[in-house]
Amino acid sequence: MDASSPTLAKIDQPHGIRRHGLPMGLAIAVLLASAIVIPQFAANQFYLHLANIVLINAIFAMSLGLIMSVGQLSLGHAAFVSAGGYISALAALNFKVPPLLGIVLAGLTTGLVAAALGKVILRLRGVYFVLVTFLAGQVFTLIALNWQSVTHGANGLIGIPAISLFGFPLATRLRFYYFALAAFVLVFTFIWALMRSQYGRAFGSIAENMRLAEASGIDVSRYQIIAFSLGSGIAGGAGAIMIHYIRFISPDSFTFSDSIAYITMLVVGGRGSLVGGALGSLFLTPLPEALRGLAGVQHILYGVILLGVLLFLPGGLVSVGRFFKRGLGRQK
Amino acid sequence: MIKRHKFAMLLCLGAGLSQPVSAETLKLGVLATLSGAGTAWGISMQGAAELAAEDVNSKGGLEVGGKKYNIEVVAYDDHYKAADALTATNRLIFDDGIKYIVGPLGSAPSLAVLPVTTENKAITMTMAFTPKALSPDFPFSFRPVIPTDIFSDPQIKWVAKRLGVKRVGALFPNDESGQQIAVVVEAAYEAAGAKMVSKEFFERERVDFVPLLTRVLAQNIDAFELDGNSPQTAGLLVKQLRELGFKGPIIRTGGDATADIVKIAGAEASERIYVHQSIDPSAPAMAAYTKRFEAKYKVPMNAFSPFFYANIQLMFEAMKKAGTVADTDKVRQQMLSLTGFETVLGKVGWTGQEQWKSNQQLDAPYYIAVLKGGVAAIVATCERTRCE
Amino acid sequence: MDYATLIGQATLNGLVIGAMYMLMAVGFTLTFGIMRVVNFAHGEFYMLGAFTAFFTYAYWEIPFVVCLLIAALTVGILGVLVEGALIQPFRDDETSGMIATLAISVIIQNAAVLIWGPAPRPMPDIVQGTLMLGPFSFPWSRLVVIAAAVLIFVTFWLFMQGTRTGRAMRAVAQDKETALIQGIRINAIYPLAFGMSVALAALAGALMGPVFSVSPFIGLTPMLKAFVVVILGGLGSVPGAVVGGILLGLIESFTATMFGSLVSDILQLLLVIMILLVRPSGLLGQREY
Repeated sequence: MDASSPTLAKIDQPHGIRRHGLPMGLAIAVLLASAIVIPQFAANQFYLHLANIVLINAIFAMSLGLIMSVGQLSLGHAAFVSAGGYISALAALNFKVPPLLGIVLAGLTTGLVAAALGKVILRLRGVYFVLVTFLAGQVFTLIALNWQSVTHGANGLIGIPAISLFGFPLATRLRFYYFALAAFVLVFTFIWALMRSQYGRAFGSIAENMRLAEASGIDVSRYQIIAFSLGSGIAGGAGAIMIHYIRFISPDSFTFSDSIAYITMLVVGGRGSLVGGALGSLFLTPLPEALRGLAGVQHILYGVILLGVLLFLPGGLVSVGRFFKRGLGRQK
Repeated sequence: MIKRHKFAMLLCLGAGLSQPVSAETLKLGVLATLSGAGTAWGISMQGAAELAAEDVNSKGGLEVGGKKYNIEVVAYDDHYKAADALTATNRLIFDDGIKYIVGPLGSAPSLAVLPVTTENKAITMTMAFTPKALSPDFPFSFRPVIPTDIFSDPQIKWVAKRLGVKRVGALFPNDESGQQIAVVVEAAYEAAGAKMVSKEFFERERVDFVPLLTRVLAQNIDAFELDGNSPQTAGLLVKQLRELGFKGPIIRTGGDATADIVKIAGAEASERIYVHQSIDPSAPAMAAYTKRFEAKYKVPMNAFSPFFYANIQLMFEAMKKAGTVADTDKVRQQMLSLTGFETVLGKVGWTGQEQWKSNQQLDAPYYIAVLKGGVAAIVATCERTRCE
Repeated sequence: MDYATLIGQATLNGLVIGAMYMLMAVGFTLTFGIMRVVNFAHGEFYMLGAFTAFFTYAYWEIPFVVCLLIAALTVGILGVLVEGALIQPFRDDETSGMIATLAISVIIQNAAVLIWGPAPRPMPDIVQGTLMLGPFSFPWSRLVVIAAAVLIFVTFWLFMQGTRTGRAMRAVAQDKETALIQGIRINAIYPLAFGMSVALAALAGALMGPVFSVSPFIGLTPMLKAFVVVILGGLGSVPGAVVGGILLGLIESFTATMFGSLVSDILQLLLVIMILLVRPSGLLGQREY
């Protein structure tokens, strides 16, 4: 869309984990090990619940980052999350589809819908794309609200079953935690691998300069559709996971303000890095808890943080290290 | 930090030596919408909890099983979202160790939260009109506010007969309460021998009702039903109806909206409006409560507030009788056995077995009033099945 | 109510909301045409305009025409400041600019809730009474909105056509590079254009305040409609915004009167998708945006 906004593809591309080599690998191993071990000792169910939401929100933000890596901003991300939730919930409630299969189904369906939508708005770049994703989100809410025979309208769907693995239900917070962690690692690895493949290279050059990419023979529309449908599909799948955890969904569950929340997480964490979305979720998901009693201030704070990061730290929290390094370098 | 802790401990020891009976703390949770559009309801619930706590604390605490408990209110905002409400509930139960919750508010948050509160045996007071909030599956879910299902039949029968209404029109918001109330109200008019000839739904953000009202009025209705709409929407509807030249009676079967209707539409347009009134504002206990509430929160009291206050009064009484605050099973049973108990609402009891197979719906008298010169005058007093 | 009255009511009502959509969309499309900024906070400036009118008119009882001027000025100046401080840094970065306006929207709306509370406030009508024309009865309060909106738009149009600044703005909209070469000071034009754009939104809000009511949440629907209108009329096209706005108002009013609100909402969105498929640059828009 333009040249200067940092995106996933651009920064992660040529130098990634490999450049940092062993220390980075070690850091990841330590992080993962502590993520597995610590909950065994932390008995507080509330913190476990928060950790679960952090992990799922991180997937939402990372999948949005994937769409943004080709210079597209989706304002309908929450609608895909919601659609995924509804698909899996309805499949489980009406046809007894096991949740695990429902999640896959939700991911595939939302991905295909996004691909179809992408085809329709193929010619629409930049602003038109943003407006259409916004309106598509509104259309989805209208459908969920009014197709009462299927969605039960505003009352939502209750009694959604928990995910079960080999007949073993993940009904407790701790069991679900490991599932969410696995899903997070899976999505993280998938996007990381994607960014290092030929697709990632194409994404990178599109983000760098769309016109140049087009001129050099890259089918920009095709890659944008791929990124949009992959990102939206992952969001749909993760939406389904969330719904089997919360076990309730209504048209109000995921709305435009959630789309903004995912954008905030991504931007605050760092648009230019895969870790950004995760970091944004880790920082912003628990933040409301500090303000739970302070009505109304939370949203303002979210807005201020978002603006502040855009203005003063465009690379997001991820770039804090780089920021300091550069500062030190200059001093020398 | 550590030093200060030690110091505090010394103080406590000193105090403990001189005062053999030290007050313990009992936390009362509030889970409601404290920001955004639903704030008025949230404040009405928080206010009920805080005023009830004030009552008890000013008398040195609630005496249960030989111990005195000071009540501390912990209020969390749910942003009117199911996921947020669930997170706040997890925090109330697991982090704060709370077993008594004023809330949740709204159908979606309630349905998301009730399985968790039930599993952890936390007593809740729901502010949601969904029929699913009360069920034998949720033995700890109580509902102090009275849904349209309970009073629509007797009230509409009385009003329809008095006005000789045959053709009714209505607009409902396309949300959970609108969708439910539409069904209930339509059935009640059918039962009363009238017919709902025009019924329209609209998206919540809509403020221009003229096209829809024009459509409804084209059906030659002789009365208009306002139930299910927010107080402000009800006011806008009355204003725009009268502007379009509708002179017939307007009926509001549920929910207190008189103040907003008169404020928005003006006293002149508000003539011939028959409203459901859940409380009798002239009763001394109610007048005193209203005064206290408005002095403390500087906003007009929402008529739902005294229902929560009454339920908390019942709960405190039940704790005393049960002799425990730890065993919510016992408190629940004691609370259900309280009938004809005198509260701010007058004598209240429990109902709901017939509709929801759960006898945990608060039952209180209600009234029908007609607006004259901008003031509601009570014309009928109703009990469960009839109005007179 | 007979058929003719029904049509009369639907037309009048369509023109009232159409006039509001027109003012909203003209402002929205102006910022895009000149600055390439999609302003997601546009609806919040509508809300601020309505609140300004509420306090000046309902509280201080200043004549309504003066209230409109105050609303346009205060919100316009706020717009100039917001552009200078928060939008200018993203001049070459559309995506960040859009996200910044999203953040501004969140901040303004929630600050309004914090300061003024969430409850909608009714406002007294600007004029009382109804105009009786044969079988039709039109409330004056609504007729005034149409007249005022037309007047505001004509003033705006004359400014754009007749003044140096207006011509400079149009030059920037047509071709930024050439305008720069001709010595047009973009750093002065941008804040001014943004201020004017949000002042138009504020005027729309101030006009609609007395007809509906005023709350921190009233900005969303007009903004959504502005999106629909600019897609109908073409992003960046002022004539497109006028035609699209009035057309959308009439379509909405007639479909809602004939088929109800849900059909109306869904039809509008279908219309947008149709337009995008058949003529992606809008009815009156130019290609290549």
